[in-house]
Amino acid sequence: MKNTAASKSVNFEKATLLWSFTWDADWVSAVSFIGDKHFAAGNNLGEILLWELPEKPEPLGESPSEKSKPADKSERPLYLSPKPVRQMVGHSNIINRLLCAENRWLISASNDHTVKYWDIEAKPSGMAKHVLNARTIEDINRNKNSGRKPPTPLETEVQTQAATKTIEGREWIIGASLSQDETTLITGDDAGQVAVYDRKTGAEKKRWQVKGWAFAVAISPDLKQSLVSERYPLVFDSGRHTAVKLWDVATSTVQHDLSKEFKDMQIASAAYSRDGKILALGRGGEGEGKIFLIDPSTGKKIRELSPIHQYGVTDLCFHPDGKHLASTGRDTVVRIWNIEDGKMIKELGKPRGGQFKDWFHALSFSPDGTRIAVADMAGYIHLWEFR
Amino acid sequence: MNNPSISGVCKKSEHFSRRALLKGSLATGAGTAIPNWGGLFHSQSIASMAQKLGKRCILLWMNGGASQIDTFDMKPGKATAGPFREIQTKLPGYKVCEYLPKIAQQVEKLGIIRSMRTTSPDHPDGIYHMHTCYKQSERMPHPELGAMIAKYLGQTDADLPSFVRMGPTGNAGSGYLGPRYEPFGIERNGNMPYFTSPYLPAANESRRNDLLRFMETEHKKENSADAYESHRVAKERAWRLLKAKSLFDTTKEWPKHQELYGASDFGRGCFLARKLTEAGVPFVEIGQENYDSHADNFVCHKANMQILDPAWSGLLIDLERTGQLQNTLVVWMGEVGRTPQINNRAGRDHFIRGWTIVLAGGGIKGGVVYGSTDADGRDVATNPVSEGDLFATIYTALGVNPRTKHFVGTRPIWATPEGSKPIKDLLL
Repeated sequence: MKNTAASKSVNFEKATLLWSFTWDADWVSAVSFIGDKHFAAGNNLGEILLWELPEKPEPLGESPSEKSKPADKSERPLYLSPKPVRQMVGHSNIINRLLCAENRWLISASNDHTVKYWDIEAKPSGMAKHVLNARTIEDINRNKNSGRKPPTPLETEVQTQAATKTIEGREWIIGASLSQDETTLITGDDAGQVAVYDRKTGAEKKRWQVKGWAFAVAISPDLKQSLVSERYPLVFDSGRHTAVKLWDVATSTVQHDLSKEFKDMQIASAAYSRDGKILALGRGGEGEGKIFLIDPSTGKKIRELSPIHQYGVTDLCFHPDGKHLASTGRDTVVRIWNIEDGKMIKELGKPRGGQFKDWFHALSFSPDGTRIAVADMAGYIHLWEFR
Repeated sequence: MNNPSISGVCKKSEHFSRRALLKGSLATGAGTAIPNWGGLFHSQSIASMAQKLGKRCILLWMNGGASQIDTFDMKPGKATAGPFREIQTKLPGYKVCEYLPKIAQQVEKLGIIRSMRTTSPDHPDGIYHMHTCYKQSERMPHPELGAMIAKYLGQTDADLPSFVRMGPTGNAGSGYLGPRYEPFGIERNGNMPYFTSPYLPAANESRRNDLLRFMETEHKKENSADAYESHRVAKERAWRLLKAKSLFDTTKEWPKHQELYGASDFGRGCFLARKLTEAGVPFVEIGQENYDSHADNFVCHKANMQILDPAWSGLLIDLERTGQLQNTLVVWMGEVGRTPQINNRAGRDHFIRGWTIVLAGGGIKGGVVYGSTDADGRDVATNPVSEGDLFATIYTALGVNPRTKHFVGTRPIWATPEGSKPIKDLLL
């Protein structure tokens, strides 16, 4: 089946894993394309690295360090992974979301209570060394009885740069999303604060409080409506709380309260379609990873996608063609869905066997729609291409 | 539909049931038999000695097992650290989790044991072991801490039960001490089981009870066995409890204390525990659900700590304000700690090789951090403390000899296992 993307024709059924980039300092928790030739990834330590994708990639050879990689977990990539070129320095805790504007600005939301802006065209301020497989080596060295030999260190040196802008929040900023036109940024934090900013200047335009911790947030293409899901994840306690609400941004009042419909569900991810007529919601946690399509004008459910992710959904992203949705979750697979009929048309990756084996944390389509990057907690960024 | 908020915890069947909580605490058709009433059956001089000290104990039970690395034994910069940050306490050089800011201000009251090395890794055995200091696999049913304290610190003439528990707590019961020391279970807001409310007008109820007394007195003339007497005494005590029932009602006082303890079930339970100990109940256990975070450990602990921090610190402040702290031992513990390693569910699993328990108040030296774990928190580095050592410390702080001997038939059994030693550094 062929589909027309923003700039290129895309055949979702014909997908190829081009690269699996190793970076296991800690879990890779966020990813975003920046234009078609760059992508950035963030991890649980608050580090952000930037990769530049080569015009002529080098076929994957038989080097021991590359050979032993995710081939056994998913599929073997075609090409040898280039090393990162730059590090964004400044965050001190988990990177929860990475967003991109104007193919130049990277925006990061973190557990360190901040949102930071990074200009990838800015001059570097220094250099830093990384060993991209440091955790694997450390684990093997600590467990000497495992009989495994540590791999060759994947050493690299990257340019560093500081943030150009920092927005201070009050708690872990888990939810962050850009409007379709990239003019508006919305964030939600664990203090229950939802804030709307002018994306360019970082000036705050609106702020309101919700009862629980703000989890997933999204803003409609016309900038008038926002989705905020809430949680207060106590277990077996009367104080636990979940909510899903559609808000009028101008007045910060609730337009539609969907909490009954999504009772006890922690909605971890939300995204508006490009035309604003569909809102996709993904249920997080370790329950069934359900995906719902909602009519944002009424708050009514249009359909529930099937099959479900085995465990919770972690990220949703509409394709630039506006007709397809990508989802990923705690089952280490990516699914591509046709929005019109709700059918799954492609699954990438494989569940890793047994109960609870790793997560894919986040995904991002390239602006031309031909590639998708996926953040893998096992210490990789996978990049597939559709042709 | 599954409840996402309970994902990642062990199966409910692996935990003790609420039925077990209430089992034996309230029974009979009239609903008024309260087994652990006072200390009617106390006979040992040790009991009277301990009672003279006027000590009380409140156990804050962290059901499922709280993470030491995410609370009192943080490992910043290590692979095991997790996303929580440290904050300075009043104790120079000692830091705790950023989500315990109020407890950080009370640290001069705390005796923090960072070197618990225990031997029961799962919930049923861990809950039993950390309530009795004996392994569950032993054939002898040991009494849990509350039953032991009820026996030695309970008053014979009390109108109140001597062992009260609220929420998710232990399940070992009174063991070989017998049903009279079984816990009296209530809800954390003080609500009692529905059957404690009389369904007859007071005058009718009184006449009915008088009739029952008369019949039992007549019956006793021909039947003097202990079982009949025990049953009769239990009824008498139950009727006395109903007269004191208003003490459990926190409806009027709670709004004034809510800010101090935090607006939560657990906070309200801590307030009620303070009320009950002040009124003479020697042992109150209150549980907080649920720390068993095999998945999503950090959001689970963060939410729990936001409840725990004001409740626990509020309790310590309130005990001090009302002059009770020096006689009331507050114990903070669960059945296990949690692994330093973060698993691929963003969780931490059960861990017994180096975890943390905190004592405060009666008989305990505050501002003391005892023992340590290694750099990553994977094992105890100094001063390992066993279950028996912990209980020996608790009993000593409360004025009960940890080597107290009981006889079951002809078999001698001690309050703590052979070799258990109180931690002198923590005792006043």
